[in-house]
Amino acid sequence: MKSMKRSTLAVAVFALTAAPALAWEPTKPVEIVVAAGAGGASDQMARMMQAAIQKNKLMAQPMVVTLKGGASGAEALMYMKSSAGDPNKVLIAYSLIYMLPLSAKIPFNWRELTPVSVIALDQFVLWDNTTLPHKNVKEFIAAAKAANPPFKMGGTGSKREDHVLTVFMEKKTGAKFAYLPYKSGGEAATQLVGNHTQSNVNNPSENLEVWRAGQVRALCVFDKERIGYKTKVTDKQSWNDIPTCKEEGLDVQYLMLRAMFLPGKVTPEQAAFYVDLFKKVTQTAEYKDYMEKQALKPIFLTGSDMLKFLEEDDTLNKNLMTEAGFVAN
Amino acid sequence: MEALGLLLHGFEVLFTFKTLALMMVGLVLGIFVGVLPGLGGPNGVAILLPLTFTMDPTSAIVMLSCIYWGALFGGAITSILFNIPGEAWSVATTFDGYPMAQQGKAAEALTAAFTSSFIGSLVAVLLITFLAPSIASFALRFGPPEFFAVYLLTFCSFVGLGREEKHKTLISMSLGLLLAGIGMDTVSAQLRMTFGWSELYRGINFLVAVIGLFGISEILLTMEERLALRGHAASISLRVVLKVWKDMPRYWVTLLRSSAIGCWLGITPGGAIAASFMGYNLAKRFSDDKESFGKGRIEGVFAPETAAHASGTSALLPMLALGIPGSGTAAILLGGLMVWGLNPGPLLFVEHKDFVWGLIASMYLGNIVGLVMVLSTVPLFAAVLRVPFSAIAPMIVVSCAVGAYAIQNAMFDIWLMLVFGVVGYVFKKIGIPLAPFTLALVLGNRAEDSFRLSMIGAGGDMRVFWSNSLVGSITTLALLLLFWPLIGGAFGRMRSALVKKTA
Amino acid sequence: MAESEKEIVVEDPNAPAEDSPGVANTRTVDIVVSLLLIAFAGLMAFDNWRTGMGWAPDGPKAGYFPFYLSMVLGGASLYGLVVAFLERAGAQRIFVNRDQLRRVMQVFVPTCLFCLVTQWLGLYVASFLLVAGFMRVIGRIAWWKSLLTSFIFALAMFVTFDVAFDVLMPKGPIEALFGH
Repeated sequence: MKSMKRSTLAVAVFALTAAPALAWEPTKPVEIVVAAGAGGASDQMARMMQAAIQKNKLMAQPMVVTLKGGASGAEALMYMKSSAGDPNKVLIAYSLIYMLPLSAKIPFNWRELTPVSVIALDQFVLWDNTTLPHKNVKEFIAAAKAANPPFKMGGTGSKREDHVLTVFMEKKTGAKFAYLPYKSGGEAATQLVGNHTQSNVNNPSENLEVWRAGQVRALCVFDKERIGYKTKVTDKQSWNDIPTCKEEGLDVQYLMLRAMFLPGKVTPEQAAFYVDLFKKVTQTAEYKDYMEKQALKPIFLTGSDMLKFLEEDDTLNKNLMTEAGFVAN
Repeated sequence: MEALGLLLHGFEVLFTFKTLALMMVGLVLGIFVGVLPGLGGPNGVAILLPLTFTMDPTSAIVMLSCIYWGALFGGAITSILFNIPGEAWSVATTFDGYPMAQQGKAAEALTAAFTSSFIGSLVAVLLITFLAPSIASFALRFGPPEFFAVYLLTFCSFVGLGREEKHKTLISMSLGLLLAGIGMDTVSAQLRMTFGWSELYRGINFLVAVIGLFGISEILLTMEERLALRGHAASISLRVVLKVWKDMPRYWVTLLRSSAIGCWLGITPGGAIAASFMGYNLAKRFSDDKESFGKGRIEGVFAPETAAHASGTSALLPMLALGIPGSGTAAILLGGLMVWGLNPGPLLFVEHKDFVWGLIASMYLGNIVGLVMVLSTVPLFAAVLRVPFSAIAPMIVVSCAVGAYAIQNAMFDIWLMLVFGVVGYVFKKIGIPLAPFTLALVLGNRAEDSFRLSMIGAGGDMRVFWSNSLVGSITTLALLLLFWPLIGGAFGRMRSALVKKTA
Repeated sequence: MAESEKEIVVEDPNAPAEDSPGVANTRTVDIVVSLLLIAFAGLMAFDNWRTGMGWAPDGPKAGYFPFYLSMVLGGASLYGLVVAFLERAGAQRIFVNRDQLRRVMQVFVPTCLFCLVTQWLGLYVASFLLVAGFMRVIGRIAWWKSLLTSFIFALAMFVTFDVAFDVLMPKGPIEALFGH
């Protein structure tokens, strides 16, 4: 714990001074550890970074994507935890680092790893099938309240972001949903198209294709402000045209972090190398292109800013999980 | 017509230098594992699977399916030249193939075998090409209850129709289902059966089990036997090939009949083994000269090879369309799909058109390239058998370990593979079938999840499995198959009672 | 018949003899396997009972299916145990004879050692040792042939997996000397 604090402090110092001649560089291929299955959002992001780093020659050693999606991502967390001191592995993390230890009693704490940087925030959108009669959030909620048996809400995984969001919608509106945990966002999307569920709360990227095909309708986005991208995605709409849920009278917000972590007990020089590396990645054309395509919210935090963000985000998630009753005892 | 457009698109995906190169590599490796003793189709594909992990799914499946074609071709070489069937489905090929080799007509027999396997596969691929588009539109009707009904049907047909002793099938299947459940339960996000051991969190991977059950245990079993062999060297000249091809149209009835049998048995999981024997027996029954079969008649090579390959190829259709493997190798390819992040099942045809049509196109191309290659390189591969087993055995062990490790980058999996090797060896020797075990391991979680999702959606009401005509008919059929031995027995008794009454 | 150069002949001088004395009969193995399976089923049933094997309002709990599956496994194994005890025929059938067991162990023991060495020295060194040792000790092939073959094999594996296909294998101190 103590050495951990010291190293994160050092990261902050290094990030500020941004030393031009870096003392450390990897001498072996670097693994990007993905805490999800192949083809998921984390995997796609890892492959984008791999391509960006190789194309722009940001690092001499090659980068290899390692999938550790077993046990809903717990495998990746345990793998990082057991790799303490190894500077050739970076985890691409998302909110599972807070949620999994609570819901499944996994002996893991993100404070045991070395935070490098937060590189993006992911949005959540409420979707329904275009063939259903309700055209906006109010009509949808009214129909959900009246429905018996209750509306089916598709999502990815159990006791995770999608599930928590569903519980909060229930609390705010009084409607009841039957939440169906699918294995991937893609499956949740096709099941919505096939009318096996009435709605889902997928990330923009997961429903992109079926939205463009006109098979699903975007009702609202769970953020304080609309998504920034204004280029048309479907015939009529851009991401920016989707109203926020708050505008529509449903006061629920949730954003999911995408952040990079090194294992614990790495030296400050090693951490500094990666801070610099991912800073450069966020400036590449590949990254910017990817962010817009997936409708991700750009952000770059490191050092003490990142630590502050993580602590606040942790508290927020813990409260949500506790209120939803998802914390295992 | 829609199929044709999509197929052309598939060829477009395929025609890059990289994929063509991968095809060649896959074919060579495939023929190699097909020829080697103690390997063969499913094991070879399982061991070589890790090569594809860092590729994109389309290149990966192209290479893998070429390994598969290669292994199918390779199996015929050892059957004809050495009277050693590399695969169970090549047994029928030895009946007339080996006598032909003894009479100095090895080249003719090999040409006949390769050409007829090509024809069998081609017919099956044509069938897949024209059935695939209709699957895509059918796909969206599948929700959790429909999926569960299909899985139930598969399990029930194994228990009800299997020829092994029922309690052994049941042991094998329930053990597989139990092991499949280890790790994180996705519906409740709870860990189960891990005993707090973090190596077990990720669960037991099906491919690791297969590599142990078939790869390692096969080597142990091979060692028990006498490894001496005696056979014929052969090289194929263009003259012989043309002569065989010229004679071939005379046997069109046999070829057509065997293709039809193969396709049917491949789609309904009857398997290539049954298909090859059935093809051979029917060709013999309908022949004018029954006596000459078994003494080196070329038709006796055409018939089983065509049927086996038609069935091996068409077994891919239920795997892609329903996520249910029709053969051992199809099961491995299914495991591969999941590693690459593709969900086999009807939705595959909607979500990953490029992949599906790339695969179908690669079946055409891989078969043609494979035929040419195998005809020209027979002597080379036959010589592989001269390599002493004491050099090959450790290399197979290493390949198995590489395969097991690379799936999840876990040392623990190498140990697990070893354990499964011993289990496979013992189970095979005491007659516990391994097929239900692997099937349960690969489908177990998905069957359970789809059942529980159906329950959540229906508020715990079992009637959801009869809620529409599609799901209702599949569920009913599944239950019929499960109790088939009882029902069949009752029918039999009724009939004999009736006969007695009327008599 | 074909002339001699058109034939491929491979001999197996130390093949297991047919009449080698039996080590275990099928019945004993049947009984041992059944007992092991029953014990395994019991362990799994206990863990799933602890997880929760009931039926919640919205369907079965996490332990429900595995619990009943372990019951099925236990029941079927128990049936197998009874059958094995009652059946006489199994006592005559030999499960494995001494020669066969010796040959199986010749592969199995080196394989175990190989796994152990992989853990400490990495996969490539272990496979070099396994192939060379096996060829030399069991195949009685000349030293230089064994060493050369296994070196080429290990190197080919390394080039294929670690270099060409980016599939990283476990490595030990020796690869580290060369910067991998």
